[in-house]
Amino acid sequence: MSDAINIGSVDDIDEGEAKVIPADENGTGEDIAVFHAEDGNFYALNDTCTHETASLADGWIEGVEVECPVHSAKFCLKTGEALCMPATIAARTHKVEVQDGEVLLYPNVPVEA
Amino acid sequence: MSLNSVTIVGGGMAGFTVAKELRSRGFEGALTLVDPAGLPYDRPPLSKDYLLGKRGAEDIRFSPAAWFEEHQVDVVTGTATALRPDEGVVVLADGTELVADRIVLATGGHARRLAIPGGDLESVLELRTLQDADRLRSLLTPGTRLAIVGAGLIGAEVASSALAFGAEVVLIDPVDPPLVPAVGPELARRLHDMHAEHGIKVVTGIPTAITADDAGHHIEMGEHGTIDADVVLVGIGIVPETALAESAGLDIDNGTLVDESQRTSHPRVYAAGDSARTRLADGTLLRRAEHWEHAMFAGEIAAAALLDQDLPVHGASWFWSDRHGVHVEGVGSMAAEGTTIIREADGNPAIALRVDAEGYLVGCAAIDGGLAVRAARRIIDRRILVDRDKLADPSIDLKKLAR
Repeated sequence: MSDAINIGSVDDIDEGEAKVIPADENGTGEDIAVFHAEDGNFYALNDTCTHETASLADGWIEGVEVECPVHSAKFCLKTGEALCMPATIAARTHKVEVQDGEVLLYPNVPVEA
Repeated sequence: MSLNSVTIVGGGMAGFTVAKELRSRGFEGALTLVDPAGLPYDRPPLSKDYLLGKRGAEDIRFSPAAWFEEHQVDVVTGTATALRPDEGVVVLADGTELVADRIVLATGGHARRLAIPGGDLESVLELRTLQDADRLRSLLTPGTRLAIVGAGLIGAEVASSALAFGAEVVLIDPVDPPLVPAVGPELARRLHDMHAEHGIKVVTGIPTAITADDAGHHIEMGEHGTIDADVVLVGIGIVPETALAESAGLDIDNGTLVDESQRTSHPRVYAAGDSARTRLADGTLLRRAEHWEHAMFAGEIAAAALLDQDLPVHGASWFWSDRHGVHVEGVGSMAAEGTTIIREADGNPAIALRVDAEGYLVGCAAIDGGLAVRAARRIIDRRILVDRDKLADPSIDLKKLAR
């Protein structure tokens, strides 16, 4: 179990927006995107789309899905599941918790199904 | 009759989607997909990452071989040569006969050839398949003189990719700028100008003949003289592949005619993707679409129709293109009646919004503006009436207008 990273206050990421925690800060070797979904919750996925190189944090966040800004592959923010072509591979999830108004990211800790 | 077996002819986006959707929608019968290339692969990378060698043949498959085994999709490497729809038979070149309750034709198209002397030369290349891309790549070396006829999506993308090989590129198109119907004149101008900015020689004209000798190819350009080239690539669109449908007596008109459930004039045969054209119940023929996402959507509809399920409804059409390090997208129609609102970035037109007389957004195109296009798509599909001043105000995020 890796340690949590405090990525800031819940107010730092507006609903429908995302923030990238770079690879060198999160220790996983991959950039991680933390999303503030429209259900009010925070979720984290590997930032790079599983289809081609594109940042999911720059994508279109709607409900609990993110649509890649380049080729419109959609991913479930809760499970990482690839919801439509061209992506066929799920995005890797990372656990996120909110404690006392702070958003805590657990890199490498997958969300339990 | 209950559906026990389906044969899909063609493993492009439409054919693969039919297979994938039939399984995800619960179809448990026999499922066969026939394609000369075997396992289905995605074509957009052929002019970009695959041509550049950034992604290999396995990387551009829609799904790995294991997926087809797991989902019991029998992929037959072969070429369909005839159809006997009454019997549900697809005949392959080697004589094999595949029998199924239903047949889906997802045969796509073949590259249109130049109808000029020399246009049929074997050495004049086209880009439609993995093999075409391999052949083109093998010919691109530093200093290779590459002439591309057609500056639409494929021509522009290959021109851009070829620069990475150190090729000297000439890009020929009769129209200046091309792509106006797709992205509007403002963005079309900017996109076409990028070619010259990157060292490509752009020629506006019409080839009248192509000859080949030991010195290479010579493209006769009338008043523009002769363009000499080692390699010639033609990208002037496709001709829908309807030979099978025609041989079986199905209704054809620049595409295999289908109803809104992708059913052809024969009840056992469906068609989807580039080769299919929709004929509405009142006889109106829709424009045949050739975009990637349209092929996927048509495949979804065909699968739902085959299973007698509710047909999925899709909104405005969408496409993309990548060249010279920029990402281009369009949604809806930039050629529809109306007026255009331009948003600029760094003094250049970046987002074009087409608004009809009633004030509804009907089309949007953008250069490096993926989120704007995604917002526009929702504004169009949800019929949100947005104030023109707000559309024009670059300080207002289009995403907020789509809520």
